Amino acid sequence: MSLTIESSRFGRVQIDPETVIEFPEGLIGLGGSRYALLANDPEAPFAWLQSLEDPSLALPVTNPHRFFEGFEVEVIDEDAERFGFEASSAMDVYVTVRAAPALEDFTANLKAPILVSSGRAYQVINQAPGCGLRTPLFAAPDGDSAPDAEPAC
Amino acid sequence: MLGDDTIIEVLEVRGQTVRIGIDAPRSVPVYREEIWLEVKRENQAAAEAAAGAELPDFPAKAPPSGAADRSI
Repeated sequence: MSLTIESSRFGRVQIDPETVIEFPEGLIGLGGSRYALLANDPEAPFAWLQSLEDPSLALPVTNPHRFFEGFEVEVIDEDAERFGFEASSAMDVYVTVRAAPALEDFTANLKAPILVSSGRAYQVINQAPGCGLRTPLFAAPDGDSAPDAEPAC
Repeated sequence: MLGDDTIIEVLEVRGQTVRIGIDAPRSVPVYREEIWLEVKRENQAAAEAAAGAELPDFPAKAPPSGAADRSI
């Protein structure tokens, strides 16, 4: 059994309904409730978080650990209680990516990562120090450090 | 951001001074509004930048040994 969703970017896409991600509080400021993670290639560094309610709403996301060694997520107690994620269940972390014409201008939002566990997700405020809202993903050609040489947080 | 269940009450008015109390249920996070707003703006910017964007198809990190011949 599959679910057909509408996407402005990808057209009609068939997905496994088991993979739909519920955001009880939506994305911060954008709302929404159900999203799907779309990727042509499971090994690709980027995937798309596609809204099921709004075909025109899709954000590129990536696994921050691919780019930032030592990246950590800290949340306030109230948030941890509200999410109710069980310590033993697997959790995936994604961060939204702001694309740009030039590669060196791509940035990731490390301040508000998205935590996914058992089909449920929350976009949280990361209390870990130094996690920027717009952290460059790729070093500029004349940069002095490799992308994952030092932790961003 | 304060939720619908949050009560702000005036505790005391003395002359020119007004003391207020904020009683937010444990389940409502009281984020500084500016953080919420900046994240909202960044989400919107990411969504807008995404339209028509070409995401680079970078090679994945080297797979763990033994998985090199796995087909996708």
